[in-house]
Amino acid sequence: MDTLLQFKNIYKYYGDFAANIDINFEVKKGTIHSIIGENGAGKSTLMNVLSGVLTQSSGDIVLNGKSLNMKDPNDATKNGIGMVQQEFMLFDNLTVIENIVLGHEDTKTKYWLDLKRSEKRILEICKKYHFNFPLYKKVSSLPIALQQQVEIVKVLFKQAEIIILDEPTAVLTPQQIDGLFEAMNYLIEQGKTILFITHKLNEVLKVSDYITVLRDGKVVDTIENESVSKEQLAQMMVGREVFLNIDRNEKAVSESILEIKDLTVLDEKHIARVKNMSFSLNKGEILGIVGVAGNGQNELIESITGLSKYSEGEILFKNEPLVKANPRNNRLKKIGYVPQNRIITGSALNTSLVDNIVMGKHLTDFTSKRGIMDFSKMNSYAQEVITKFSVKAQSIQDKASSLSGGNLQKLIVGREFSQDNEVLIIEDPTRGIDIGSIEFIWNEIKKIVEEDNVSVLLVSYDLYEAMSLSDRIIVVYDGRFVKEFKRNEFEEKRIGYYMLGGNDHEKESH
Amino acid sequence: MKKKVTKRISIKNTSVTNYLLAMVLVLIIASILILIQGSNPIEAFRQIIVGSMGSRAAIARSIRWITPVIIASMAAVVAHRSGIINLGIDGQVYVGAFFSALAGAYISLPSVVHIPVAILIGGISGALFAFIPSLLKGILKINEMVVTLMFNYVAILMTEYLTMQIMNLDADIRPEMIATPEILETAKLTQIMPPYQATTGIFIAIVVFVVLFLFYKFTKRGYEWKMIGQNFSFSKYGGIKTLKNYIIIFMTSGFIAGLAGAVEILGPHLRFRSNFSSNIGWDGIMVALIAKDNPKTTFVVAIIWGLIKAGSLAMERTTSVNRILVTLVQALFVLFITVDLRELLVKAKNFISKKTRKEDEVHA
Repeated sequence: MDTLLQFKNIYKYYGDFAANIDINFEVKKGTIHSIIGENGAGKSTLMNVLSGVLTQSSGDIVLNGKSLNMKDPNDATKNGIGMVQQEFMLFDNLTVIENIVLGHEDTKTKYWLDLKRSEKRILEICKKYHFNFPLYKKVSSLPIALQQQVEIVKVLFKQAEIIILDEPTAVLTPQQIDGLFEAMNYLIEQGKTILFITHKLNEVLKVSDYITVLRDGKVVDTIENESVSKEQLAQMMVGREVFLNIDRNEKAVSESILEIKDLTVLDEKHIARVKNMSFSLNKGEILGIVGVAGNGQNELIESITGLSKYSEGEILFKNEPLVKANPRNNRLKKIGYVPQNRIITGSALNTSLVDNIVMGKHLTDFTSKRGIMDFSKMNSYAQEVITKFSVKAQSIQDKASSLSGGNLQKLIVGREFSQDNEVLIIEDPTRGIDIGSIEFIWNEIKKIVEEDNVSVLLVSYDLYEAMSLSDRIIVVYDGRFVKEFKRNEFEEKRIGYYMLGGNDHEKESH
Repeated sequence: MKKKVTKRISIKNTSVTNYLLAMVLVLIIASILILIQGSNPIEAFRQIIVGSMGSRAAIARSIRWITPVIIASMAAVVAHRSGIINLGIDGQVYVGAFFSALAGAYISLPSVVHIPVAILIGGISGALFAFIPSLLKGILKINEMVVTLMFNYVAILMTEYLTMQIMNLDADIRPEMIATPEILETAKLTQIMPPYQATTGIFIAIVVFVVLFLFYKFTKRGYEWKMIGQNFSFSKYGGIKTLKNYIIIFMTSGFIAGLAGAVEILGPHLRFRSNFSSNIGWDGIMVALIAKDNPKTTFVVAIIWGLIKAGSLAMERTTSVNRILVTLVQALFVLFITVDLRELLVKAKNFISKKTRKEDEVHA
């Protein structure tokens, strides 16, 4: 196979900080080439350089033997390079076809839109690569997996030869991921080349021909897929051995600590997001809640944590009703929460680490009767949390914004885990953070449950995570409780089936 | 390790450079405007300095103006620090001034009690006036910016109307005659540099600043108020009673604004007159904006602001330059401060160097 694309001595600096250092590797035509690395390893920077969003500080990108000089993303498009971003760049209120042709519309006599011709071209593309979705529906009415297909077709419509997929599987269920991989294979069969950005090693091994590992802005190695194991890849990424296999010591408990009874939550438009849901969290267990994002998980969590109101049903804590919509009451009752959104809910970026760590605990500690705060006590407490949860920071007086995603998450986990909570609601604890931090946080969750007998409600969008940690898993679909699995029944494909809305008829008729 | 340290210094430098750059820009623009008016800018600037610090009278005048600016800017800091955009400070100043003028004129008490009572009445009426928008925002989620802005008109017109009612005035009276009776001797603040208008009000201003500074630095509530401003959702999630605090913060801001009005009346004005305020509330908002809601910086900027205000009054008398120009220049300064000039400079530099690099490439 011929070399299509070469990275030659690419350096990219942000001020003094080098995000890419001497990047050298080549991509062969008609292959799936994975680029893996932890957060901050320089993957995104490198891809942004390739797609024309950023310009390298020095070095060359060589396409078909010719050095590219790109100033903006349009240049990349002209050179046949297209990128599918992790966060979809689609206009929800436009139709699929309008989204696809946007910026590259076919026209009649220069000024008049020619949607018919575009439609023909799009249908050809869809046929050739086995995509199938309605063209004249609004994008917002399509499920996530189809929206992703729309994104890919959008890139193909612009006649891309090289397609960059940035973390494409983050939003998909196992079945949908298989579908995506199939589509990727069709694409390379037709001679397209795919750059696949991810941090999920299973997927890398399953689908790619070549793998380039980045660490600290440098290329560790570029290898053929056959010659490497998952453990080796993880070690190359992190620079040390990583253990992502958690052994859970199950304990037989049946005493309920948190009980959700017939919960219904309406959103602002009075549409039910959580429908008549009931389940209970037992003492000392990890209960995983899984489902495709947007199936009522957010609303469920907000009701339990008191961040918003629910319309019907009851939430019982230790058999007593929990006050509605009152996060303060939750804190005082020792119900902690690790929110999904680290920045909007989980921290205040412009304040110091101390300010972030004492939040919540300050309600009962650190304060004299006259309302004066004890700073030395706060500082030593913050220092303790930071050390215990190995948050990498220069000083506790640094602003929270100076922390990387993984470290900020460790800080938030540290804060919630250090407040003697009896119940922890943990939402998506490892989204977008590096593998080292994931390993650390998983082990902390296991530790706090098994050693301190804390009960954890774990809402996760990463099925592997939920399966690794949970004692039981509840699948939610369309705001409903669909199915419960015990740890010995966990099976990726079966859980995925229910996540997509499948049901077993015995239960249904009952 | 080393990298971090240099980074912190450069952050500090950013704000200092920004202030300096803004100052230079403002001076250039002001000079041009003064030149257009046909006066000598250097002479005008000299007059501002002389007029604010050049004599005993000048210093007294400066203290007189610094006093309300400090108090009003503290009112703005309290609100802004917690993310509340209280544009109604001027209105709260009016309401505070009006009721404190009535208390000064109609209640008779010994001086030791009369002054505190009149000042407190001013503060409390300011707080109550701020209570309405705080409820509208806190419970009905109505934008406080619009409400407080409109409430300025309500306050100004309402106090004027009430004054006319109390004094039994007709609608055809000249506006400057609309005034409450002079306050009693027992309610007057002592002049610290007689016969000039500087009064013990300056000490009240300093106390307000010190109390706020200590409050934010050392108390639990101060911490909570800061965090509410930094991230409302985070504070709610952290167990802070956000709604209750929100209303208290709003009212505290109104209370301090009311104090500013009271001190103006019990000090220099001695009676409530419609249109007495000469923009004190807006001065406060702009000073807080420049100082980025930091109490210490606000205190310093308020002093400078007061000096400029006093100096510009003097300048108007001695040169042909209009005082409105100073107001314009102050507004420009606020504008420039809110822009990150250093960032712009760096961008411009990069742009130029890129251009020259490209030209070099072309030549090569």
